[in-house]
Amino acid sequence: MSAAVEQSERRSLSNSLAHQARVIRVLAAAEFKLKYRESVLGYLWSLLKPLALFSILYVVFGHFFKLRGGLENYPIYLLIGIVLWTFFLDATTTTMVSLVVKGPLLRKMYFPRLIVPVSTTAAAAMTFGINLLAVAAFIAWNRIVPQVDWLLIPLLLLELYLFAFGVAIILSTLYVRFRDMAPIWEVVAQVLFYATPIIYPLTLVPYHWVRVLQMLNPFGQVVEDVRALVLYDNPPGSILTATDVLGPGGRLYSIAIMLAFFVGGLLLFRHDEPSLAERV
Amino acid sequence: MRAADGIAIETVDLHKDFRLPHEQRTTFKEHFLHPLKRTQYDANTALAGVSFTVGTGEFFGVIGPNGSGKSTLLKILARIYQPTSGHLRVSGALSPFIELGVGFNPDLNARDNVWINGTLLGLTRKQLRQRFDDIIEFAELERFVDLKLKNYSSGMQLRLAYSIAIQVPFDILLLDEVLAVGDLGFQQKCFATFERMRDEGKTLVFVSHDLEAVAQYCDRTLLLENGVARAIGPTDEVIDLYRVREMVQ
Repeated sequence: MSAAVEQSERRSLSNSLAHQARVIRVLAAAEFKLKYRESVLGYLWSLLKPLALFSILYVVFGHFFKLRGGLENYPIYLLIGIVLWTFFLDATTTTMVSLVVKGPLLRKMYFPRLIVPVSTTAAAAMTFGINLLAVAAFIAWNRIVPQVDWLLIPLLLLELYLFAFGVAIILSTLYVRFRDMAPIWEVVAQVLFYATPIIYPLTLVPYHWVRVLQMLNPFGQVVEDVRALVLYDNPPGSILTATDVLGPGGRLYSIAIMLAFFVGGLLLFRHDEPSLAERV
Repeated sequence: MRAADGIAIETVDLHKDFRLPHEQRTTFKEHFLHPLKRTQYDANTALAGVSFTVGTGEFFGVIGPNGSGKSTLLKILARIYQPTSGHLRVSGALSPFIELGVGFNPDLNARDNVWINGTLLGLTRKQLRQRFDDIIEFAELERFVDLKLKNYSSGMQLRLAYSIAIQVPFDILLLDEVLAVGDLGFQQKCFATFERMRDEGKTLVFVSHDLEAVAQYCDRTLLLENGVARAIGPTDEVIDLYRVREMVQ
């Protein structure tokens, strides 16, 4: 038993890429709009939510528990962690349900299904962009002078996006099979939030093997690298990166893990793609 | 691009099986409770070897009782479902109108939905700007452009969906039960667009229970019964056969 489907259309490759780019843009804009529909403050919420989280964590862990671990600038350290985490959580949770939410569309039209997770993660990236402006304002207010090596930050954020995308498409295909993925991911994400150096500096983690695991996690590697660049490891040794924990070239391990999630996610998605319209 | 051989759609021995689980198990608990029990599936055959060709510029009707596989066939033509086996060749751009619509988002207004669906069906921003008013005017929804789709009646949604489907660039239009919920006025408008499509040499695949309309517009017609092509041929003959078979049952 074999099936063959041929479709000849007038579109050339560049035309069809332009078409898909338009679709992604329109769907991402709609996603962004839907997220804040019928709310008075609208897009402002995407900024207020991480700032509220930042404030309470700063008061509890920065003030009450004094978790600074010798960090010169704990507030910025914390804010970077929260904003990056908020993006990761937003991209993965909205994309997880996206195929099911977009079910009516999938059942009525053919288009490459990968467009759905690409557009939901793109919408999360738009929110992330707004939040980065808040971080930039914080940095300017603290009179931290930009350095040339800050040009590496976009590359690190790209790594974070690819990792989030890989995790997100795995979750979205699993969610089509098992609706239990929603509560499971909620719990796992909660664990990851505390298992990753977001609130506390890595120097406070007493076990070396725990640090190793945390730096093998692509999210942990990216967040520490961004912080090390922005705060230029001041005072020295206060921010540990993958190189400090895993040795020279340590970053290659976490990048390999990121690529494994990304490629594995694409393969899983490709495998399930033909039958998605029947199953969502 | 029209195929040189004048064939818009060609299917050879299309099969489609759906796996129907005896009990739906979509949560882990259900798997854990009966870890040793394999989910049992009933194979439900929706299409059991359907072959036909539709010529470029031809109006092709598909009729048959409920559950005969008409919608499944249309979804395979539109590449929404993949056939279990068989061969399908489509030459030209398709515009699908399936299950009363093009997949609207109920929480967005008509403007946004036209924008999304028009883009998905291949319109550029410039084309959308040019055609937006035409789409709304044809659907007679000028006053409701900013109303969310969840507040639309089914007739209004149908008009909007049809209006989008015929305004995008296409060579082949797939229509599934477009006349089911529209009023007489809308039906007349549909028929007027059929005439225009005829003049422009477009291809139409028309699934309907409205045998009068099928008889009036379709050159040839396919009668589906239980996923099998009972008859393919001149519309009048196929409809007569269908009427006889319905009476016998």
